[in-house]
Amino acid sequence: MAIVSALTERAFAGRRQRDWEILDSLVRTVQNRGLRVLLPEQIAQLSPLYRDVCADLSRAEGARYSAPLIDYLQGLAAAAHAVLYGHARGRWSVVGGRGSTVRLFVEAFPRAVRRHKVAMLLAFLLFFVPFFAGFFATMVDPGFALRIVPEAQLRPLVEAYKEGFSSARGAGMDAAMAGFYVNNNVGIALRCFATGLFFGLGSAFYLVQNGLATGAIMGYVASHGAGDNILTFVVGHGSLELGAIVLAGGAGMAMGWSIVAPGDKTRIASLQSTAKSVVVVVFGAAVMLFMAAAVEGFWSASTLPTIVKRSVGGAMFLIVMAYIVLAGRGSEQAAEAERAEGIDRWT
Amino acid sequence: MFRHRVAGPSRRFLAYLLDLIICYTAFVVIAFVVVIVAIGMAAATDAAESAIAAGIGVLLVVIFAIQWVYFAVLEAWKGRTPGKAALGLRVVSTTGRPIGFRAAALRNVLRAADALPLTYTAGLLSIAGLASMSTTRRFQRLGDLVAGTIVIIPERATVAAPLVLWPPAQPYELAQLPDDVRLDADERLAIEMFLRRRARLGRARELELATMIAGTLGDRFGFRGQDASRTLAVLYDRAANAGRIDAPASSRTPGSWR
Repeated sequence: MAIVSALTERAFAGRRQRDWEILDSLVRTVQNRGLRVLLPEQIAQLSPLYRDVCADLSRAEGARYSAPLIDYLQGLAAAAHAVLYGHARGRWSVVGGRGSTVRLFVEAFPRAVRRHKVAMLLAFLLFFVPFFAGFFATMVDPGFALRIVPEAQLRPLVEAYKEGFSSARGAGMDAAMAGFYVNNNVGIALRCFATGLFFGLGSAFYLVQNGLATGAIMGYVASHGAGDNILTFVVGHGSLELGAIVLAGGAGMAMGWSIVAPGDKTRIASLQSTAKSVVVVVFGAAVMLFMAAAVEGFWSASTLPTIVKRSVGGAMFLIVMAYIVLAGRGSEQAAEAERAEGIDRWT
Repeated sequence: MFRHRVAGPSRRFLAYLLDLIICYTAFVVIAFVVVIVAIGMAAATDAAESAIAAGIGVLLVVIFAIQWVYFAVLEAWKGRTPGKAALGLRVVSTTGRPIGFRAAALRNVLRAADALPLTYTAGLLSIAGLASMSTTRRFQRLGDLVAGTIVIIPERATVAAPLVLWPPAQPYELAQLPDDVRLDADERLAIEMFLRRRARLGRARELELATMIAGTLGDRFGFRGQDASRTLAVLYDRAANAGRIDAPASSRTPGSWR
């Protein structure tokens, strides 16, 4: 080490201790009661004291002073650093920049979906090809559904959909079902995203499995003569619910692919920047599923006329599609925020 | 530059276990309240089935919050969950800064990947996470790797008084002590830890420990004190303080240190 103190440890600590104690008490004050209680001159003291402690630390290490002194300086420097250096961006911001909560939904979410459109299209196919395969296979042979979904689960569904929506199931039951959809569906979407970390395989599994099962259930109910009813039920929230699962899965596929093909970055750097770029999609998908849970709980099973449910549901499909494809196009402000975050088209 | 002390798997496991206990205790309390309210409503409006169903809906949302919201929100807000606070842990970014909601949400959603393949153990047996922690330098589980975070132990050491050789080196000791005693970092640390502990050891144990290295070191530097423990103390004092000024404290203002 180049820096070798000419002082004994005792002399060094004796000379510097007063500064350390001042910094220590300032840091403890901020930790316990916040920065606001400090006087302006105390705040002005913080940063030179912090720099001095950093210098003292390297001096102590260079002079090979005893471990407890070095531990003390390490702890003091780290605590002072935590006080001086706050959040790089707003603490609750998901996209960075100002007005971010509004921008998250109006611009950032659909833009992030389009930024990863290959992964999203792949996720779309991984869900809907098995979905239609399951549906038509079951229409041809209802026994197919029994290989995918337990019969004990299918039978009550058929009974329920045969009854139709002539009698409302009651507000309590509606709330119970909404709670179930929040817990179950958002949970599936988040798991579908998270397991994409393994080269996209986990996302692909959840997409195919859910697509196949959903298709088979609809096919089974339809082949037992309740097809009109299940369509009326599903159409209201289907765009939000199925769309959100596909988007969460697509975000997972993008994350997995960033490890397989990291481009000019290291794999871990590629993974981190892609995760940063897709996390807004996961938030968006979660919000879509909350909305879907409310629709599914309180609207889809209601006694409203079929024609109302179907036309509103159909309109929802168009709105969701248009939102994903069009919202936030050409927004300079959003593009600027993305550049500031280090997110470009190819991450 | 300073380094953070990084927390290992066992401490983090205990923090996680504590968080689960806190959450599910809260769940039981909420469930109890919900049942009471449902029974009350059922008695008042004779719609028992409906009231209980609504209660179940509420409880399902609480379970969702425990699984997916609790950790992310508390880590973004405070940098630590109550469990982590109890174990003295804090989550920071790899650059040492506090984490925001995005990183907190990311690292906690990815618990689902860390928990594989034994997902049904609620993350208590996170094989994938443990494998990741044991192969990364800073004990990062998969969620930490993706979000760029680490879990640290921000506890503070109190400054310990420097070691002082007492009684001071005697003339006969100085006569045989070389001017330059060079100890490597491990030797210094070992002797220092010994010297700091020796007052709390029995005399026999103190000598037994000191003898383990005093012989080798004594041979290397051609020095023997009156016993093994004294040998180490004198050698350490010479290694740490030779040629250094033991000047008194002077008063200074911040920023003037050169």
